[in-house]
Amino acid sequence: MLEDAEVTGDGGSPGPSRRALLAGAAASLPLLLTACKGVQALGTPPPPARDIRVLAAAIAAEEAMVARYATALRQLTAGGGTGGAGGGAAGGPAGAGAAAVAAVAAVRAEHVAHLAQLRSRLIHPPALTSSPGPSVAATASASPSAGAGAGAGTGARASRKLVLSELEQAEQTASDRLIGQLDGLPPALAQLFASIAASEATHVPYLRAAGQSR
Amino acid sequence: MTASPVSVVALLRAALEAEQAASYGYGVVGSHLPQSSAQQGAATTDWITHLRAADYLTALIQARGGTPAPAAVAYQLPVPVQTAAQARVLAAALEERVAQAYLALVAVPEPALRSYGAGQVRAAALRAEAWRGSTEPFPGLPAASLRG
Repeated sequence: MLEDAEVTGDGGSPGPSRRALLAGAAASLPLLLTACKGVQALGTPPPPARDIRVLAAAIAAEEAMVARYATALRQLTAGGGTGGAGGGAAGGPAGAGAAAVAAVAAVRAEHVAHLAQLRSRLIHPPALTSSPGPSVAATASASPSAGAGAGAGTGARASRKLVLSELEQAEQTASDRLIGQLDGLPPALAQLFASIAASEATHVPYLRAAGQSR
Repeated sequence: MTASPVSVVALLRAALEAEQAASYGYGVVGSHLPQSSAQQGAATTDWITHLRAADYLTALIQARGGTPAPAAVAYQLPVPVQTAAQARVLAAALEERVAQAYLALVAVPEPALRSYGAGQVRAAALRAEAWRGSTEPFPGLPAASLRG
C-alpha cells in the first residue's frame, strides 16, 4: 500500500501504478452503479400493482363484451330477429327472434352495469388516462327495430343460434377468468369480481333458453 | 387485510345459517309446486344441494375450532307462499340470500376460502336464474356497495 500512497499522478512524478488504478476503479464501481440505477429509476416508472393491472384487464374485457353484444344485436336484427310489427305469432319463428333480441339486449344492459362498476374502481392520474375504449353510448345504438320485417326462415334461425352460442361461450370464459383472478385482490374488488362472474355465468343458460324458444 | 380466525368462523357460520334457512325454505317451495312435476324435482335437487353444503360448512367450522349452530326448527320466510309462482319467487329469494352469505366469504384473503365462496355465489346465482327465469347484474352484492 505504500507504493499506492506515494503515487500522486502529478506531472513529472511517476504515474499511478496499475494496482492503484485497479483499486480506484473497484472503489468507484458501486458509486457508478448506484448512479446508473438512480437514473434508470427516474426514467422508468414502476409497473402498476397487480390489482390495478387485473382491474384494467377486466375493464378491457367488459368493454369488449359490450361491443360484442352490440354486434350481436345488429346481426340478430338484420336477420329479422325482432319479429317486428308484421311478424308472425308470438310463438312462431319471428317471435323466437324477438325473444332472442330481447334476451341479448337485457344481458347487454347488465354488461354495461358491470363496466360502470369496474370503471368506478379505477382512478387514473390525469397524465396516465388512456383512451376511453369503445363508447358504451355508441355501442348502445344498435336498435332492435333496425331490421324488423326481414326474413325469418331457417337460415335466420341457424344464424341466431350461432350468434347466441358464441355469446354463451364468451360468457362462460369471462366468468371463469374473473374467478381465476380473485387471489390477492383487495376484498371489495374480489367481491365485485365474484358477483360479476356469477352474473356472467347466469347469462349462459339465459341465452340458451332464449335460443331454444320457438 | 388479514381476517382473524374468529371472523372467518363467523363468516362460515353465517353461510351455514343461510344454507340451513334455504334447506328449510325449499321444503316450503317443494310443497307448493305440482306433485311429481319437473319443478318439484328441481326443488328436491336444490334442497339436497343445500343440505350437503350445510354439512360441508359444518365440517369447515369444526376444523377451525368453531362450533356450528344447529338448524332452527323454522325460519322466517322472506316472501309469503301460497301459490306455485310464489314458491318460485321464494326459491330465488333463498338463493339470493345464500349468494350474499358466500360473497362475504370472498372477502377473506385465504385463497381456498375465497375460491370456494366465489364458486358458491356462482352456483346460487345459477339456481336463482333457473327459478326466476331472468338474470341479475350483481348477485349477492348489496345495492349499497355499488357505486354511482
